Amino acid sequence: MTEMTASVTAARPPSDITKRSLPASLIIHALLIAASLLMLYPLLWMVSASVRPENEIFSSTSLIPSSIDLSSYVRGWNGLDISFGQFFWNSLVISLLVVTGNVIACSLTAFAFARLRFAGRNFWFAIMLGTLMIPYHVTLIPQYVLFLDLGWVNTILPLVVPKFLASDAFFIFLMVQFFRGIPRELDEAAMMDGCSAWRIYWKIMLPLSLPVLATAAIFSFIWTWDDFFGPLIYLNDMNTYTIQLGLRTFVDSTSASDWGGLFAMSTLTLVPVFFFFLFFQRLLIEGIATTGMKR
Amino acid sequence: MSNAMRTPAGAINVERYQGAVAEGRFRRLWNANAPGYLFLLPWLVGFFGLTLGPALMSLYLSFTDYDMLQSPRWVGMANYVRIATADPKFSAAMHVTLTYVVFSVPFKLTFALLVAMALNRGLRGLPIYRAIFYLPSLLGGSVAIAVLWRQLFASDGLVNAALSHFGIEGPSWISHPSYSIYTLVALSVWQFGSPMIIFLAGLRQIPQDMYEAASLDGASKFRQFYKITLPLLTPVIFFNAVVQTIEAFKAFTPAFIISGGTGGPINSTLFYTLYLYQEAFGNFRMGYASALAWILVMIIAIFTAFSFLTSRYWVHYDD
Repeated sequence: MTEMTASVTAARPPSDITKRSLPASLIIHALLIAASLLMLYPLLWMVSASVRPENEIFSSTSLIPSSIDLSSYVRGWNGLDISFGQFFWNSLVISLLVVTGNVIACSLTAFAFARLRFAGRNFWFAIMLGTLMIPYHVTLIPQYVLFLDLGWVNTILPLVVPKFLASDAFFIFLMVQFFRGIPRELDEAAMMDGCSAWRIYWKIMLPLSLPVLATAAIFSFIWTWDDFFGPLIYLNDMNTYTIQLGLRTFVDSTSASDWGGLFAMSTLTLVPVFFFFLFFQRLLIEGIATTGMKR
Repeated sequence: MSNAMRTPAGAINVERYQGAVAEGRFRRLWNANAPGYLFLLPWLVGFFGLTLGPALMSLYLSFTDYDMLQSPRWVGMANYVRIATADPKFSAAMHVTLTYVVFSVPFKLTFALLVAMALNRGLRGLPIYRAIFYLPSLLGGSVAIAVLWRQLFASDGLVNAALSHFGIEGPSWISHPSYSIYTLVALSVWQFGSPMIIFLAGLRQIPQDMYEAASLDGASKFRQFYKITLPLLTPVIFFNAVVQTIEAFKAFTPAFIISGGTGGPINSTLFYTLYLYQEAFGNFRMGYASALAWILVMIIAIFTAFSFLTSRYWVHYDD
């Protein structure tokens, strides 16, 4: 669908581009560049602060450091009893498990809703859409009590297991929309040939759905990596901390002293997200544009 | 049904016959529906175990006192009565959250629309601009950005350093109760990227020939905006407004990091969700926090219902 809108735009008569005078176009570019700089300035400043010598951090608002000094990264990395390496590892494990859970469970659910006929399908589909609107606060406390009773607090299970039970209705909805766009003749023919539902799902639907699976996977990863609230509630032992909890602990323990280390570690936590953004920008932007994902 | 099959040999034929029919029907039902329900199984378990069950439980808890050590004690409407009449922190949190919603959402959407319109002119470099404006939205939820924001608006932070170039001595924005909430509003507005992308997609759906016809008729740019762009964009504006408002009601991380979890100074950044967190996981008043959660749900539901009811007076749909 985005492919289509893109080609429509490309085919748009060039009249309104050529008609506009050069100065008008220059003014717009100038405004947009100024706005871009304003948007990026805080981020660039943080990165630049992280490589400055400590005494230089607050002395200027300039973005270019007089010399590069990476000692902040070393200090920050070892600034707590447990190194940031452990937090990175914990975040990575949780994020990858969440991605796996979301992709498997949500695609199974979406396949049932989009392609299988069974009694009560519309009823359950309506219920599923309804859960999209329930804020997590409603289920938060009983879920916490449940996971506490199960002995899961201080493990990654409360953050990961729900994803294997398709708890992200949003991704189900996204995949249902995508699956519905795949020609029905494909699985009807396969069904005639005696293919089981499972084979159709595995051999036909999934391979054709890589774009939507990738979108769900990338957003799952980024949101889980950035998640603060879930780990804050369920992880109390520093060995289990995610990168966001580690950074917050670092903020609390060093608030006035080690700014260089703080900015260095802040920058590091953003690196994976930035990396994903750089490589999957198109996919992310299409995902937002076609479905209106939150954030 | 399968009982019929276990009847001893020589039992009455009719019964056996009916059993076989029932068996056949059951088999057909099973064959027709089993694959669907098997695929749905994980979701069904999650729905009953993690959504419906906990939601009912939380409704029950909201009528109790529950500290997680002793079993819940029924108190009727007491939690709700206290929230409505005798909880100054609730009214503070409500006030902060509403201020945040009222200031951040309109500004954010206005910026998003303005930038989307500037970008929707067949400019060179559109993908680069779009990416730059979207990046803060993507990074926004992380602790690092909240840390950065706290530094930007500190008394010796970048904002005041920039102001001092103009001879202005800025206050300590973060620790001044009159300003602290607006630093969070600014953070939210900075993240206008995702509504902007939705606006861009919406603008592309507007047929270009409408503008050409209008300018042939001599309509000014402003009139074209007012008579074509705005009305045709109302479904997208509506969507963005509802989504962003609900998100604003749920804001948590920036306030938590910037105020160090306190919602201070003087409750000026005590977001509703932050207060809920403090009650539940700081004071272990799980019953009271459940009541707070249900109040939030009701507020969001009322707001959403109101938006949908009023939408038919201003949202324009083609069909």
